Amino acid sequence: MVNAMSAGGRLHGRVARVGIAIVALTALVAMRPVRAYEVATVTNGGSIEGVVTLSGSAPATTPIKVTKNQDYCGQAIPDPVYTVDGSGGLANVIVFLKDITKGKAAPTEPLALVNSKCMFSPRAQGAMVSEQVKISSEDTVLHNTHPQNADTNATIFNVALPFKGFSVTKPLPSMPMMIKVKCDAHEWMHAWIMELDHPYYATTGADGHFTIKDVPPGTYTLAVWHEAAGANTAPVTVAAGQTTKSKITLAAK
Amino acid sequence: MFYRVAQSILLLVGALLAGSAVAANTGDVKTGKLVYERYCLSCHGAQGNGQGEAAEYMSIKPRDYRQGTYKWRSTPSGSLPLDSDLEHTLLNGLYGTYMPTWRALDERSRRDVIAYIKTFSPRFGTEKPQDPIIIPPDPGYSVASVARGDAVYKKYNCAQCHGAGGQGDGPSAHELKDDWGNGLVPYDLTKGHVKCGDKSTDIYRVFMSGLAGTPMPTFADSLSPVDAWDLVHFIQSLSPLYAKNMASGETGGAR
Ligand code: HEC
Ligand code: HEC
Ligand SMILES: [Cu+2]
Repeated sequence: MVNAMSAGGRLHGRVARVGIAIVALTALVAMRPVRAYEVATVTNGGSIEGVVTLSGSAPATTPIKVTKNQDYCGQAIPDPVYTVDGSGGLANVIVFLKDITKGKAAPTEPLALVNSKCMFSPRAQGAMVSEQVKISSEDTVLHNTHPQNADTNATIFNVALPFKGFSVTKPLPSMPMMIKVKCDAHEWMHAWIMELDHPYYATTGADGHFTIKDVPPGTYTLAVWHEAAGANTAPVTVAAGQTTKSKITLAAK
Repeated sequence: MFYRVAQSILLLVGALLAGSAVAANTGDVKTGKLVYERYCLSCHGAQGNGQGEAAEYMSIKPRDYRQGTYKWRSTPSGSLPLDSDLEHTLLNGLYGTYMPTWRALDERSRRDVIAYIKTFSPRFGTEKPQDPIIIPPDPGYSVASVARGDAVYKKYNCAQCHGAGGQGDGPSAHELKDDWGNGLVPYDLTKGHVKCGDKSTDIYRVFMSGLAGTPMPTFADSLSPVDAWDLVHFIQSLSPLYAKNMASGETGGAR
């Protein structure tokens, strides 16, 4: 995030440039949490282990009809939106803490977003602002990875993956936002990246389970988000060195 | 109101920097606003949202300036454009759309109106454009280069959108949308003139920087400059209308 310092640097500019910087700065201050996230060593952290389940039965889904490159992609692809296991566990839910301002450092490994069999993998994941994402293709057909701000639709970047084995690493924006990723070449390809200003997030696996580690002791709001079933929250209290269990449900829509 | 505040700050800074020739190359927003109201507002709208009165009747809509998303840039995908990129667009206009050239305006007015349209997006206050993509000099149009470019076109799968013959009819050519939800088609490369500019460097720039806000992606991360020039020559071979006289050794650079 560009901050007051570089806005200050702009004072060498002209009247309106300064004006813009001020307006922009005001907008930023209004949008951002009051305190920026602070990295600190977490010595006595606890874990949150939980499961997200879908209440009611999952809506019947029809397979995605492949409309181009059928020779490579096949005729149909199972719709991954509601991936629910035998006990109701819902996959691809992003789970994250709200109002956490201090704690562990950002992950060191870049995120991965793989184009494989004419789909993105993973479908949904959390990320920390400005984190690097490694985009790669395992397919012989061309894909393009085109993330957009999910609220405004504004393009973040749009990179071609012209052939199998190609990969490229790009930074995500410096502001927290929900990102919707598309491939223009294959209109059914979508992925979601939730950018947060802290690293306390996880994605549910095929069984709906998730783990968030190294949480400083305290009481938080645990939030969940799913592309179709929407959002929900639950309070959670983490004690030093302990594992807290949590169970959240989302209703099928 | 912020102009007031800004003005007093400037007076202060002005006093501090007394004498130094600040902002010799950036335009004046106030004059730029007048230029804008006179020449651009009917299409681009008073709010800069691309919804001026005339826009309704156009299938290719005037740019909405509020996101800072510009198609024709020398900078990498995701970056803001340089002022010189916007100047390039104003000088050339956008061929085949309602966006005319603004050569008739004097340089000063162009600079001022550029400064003004940038005020519609807060990004110009918080981000800096990245360094431009370097365009090495055109090694020159030749039959051999065209043949190599044909192979590059196939290897890099441009045909997925532009079609095997470049006519904008590839398997993914339909139902493409821009950031504003408007439909658009991959350019028919056999037409003989890309929208922005008529130099070989203008073609090079398009697939290396990508056209932001559209499905047209950047290939800068996968394509080498040598292959890129062959690709340009291949595209130029698709129509006798393309200018192909860029002699070897002539200066590169997108601007
Ligand atoms: C008659 C209508 C019309 C007028 C008048 C007009 N424009 Fe445009 N302008 C357009 C259209 C249409 C586009 C979008 C073309 C496209 O995306 O293919 C555009 C796009 C642009 C772009 C975006 C280029 C990019 O890289 O994305 C800029 C900058 C621009 N106009 C500046 C101006 C300025 C400055 C003026 C006044 C001096 C002006 N225009 C007047 C119709 C107009
Ligand atoms: C995912 C689809 C897609 C792929 C892949 C693609 N393009 Fe495009 N391309 C487009 C679209 C859509 C436009 C039109 C954008 C507009 O007019 O706003 C375009 C426009 C262009 C233009 C014209 C730009 C101008 O200024 O008018 C050129 C040149 C071009 N593409 C070259 C290429 C080359 C070369 C490749 C392969 C290396 C390629 N494209 C791959 C979708 C694509
Ligand atoms: Cu794809």
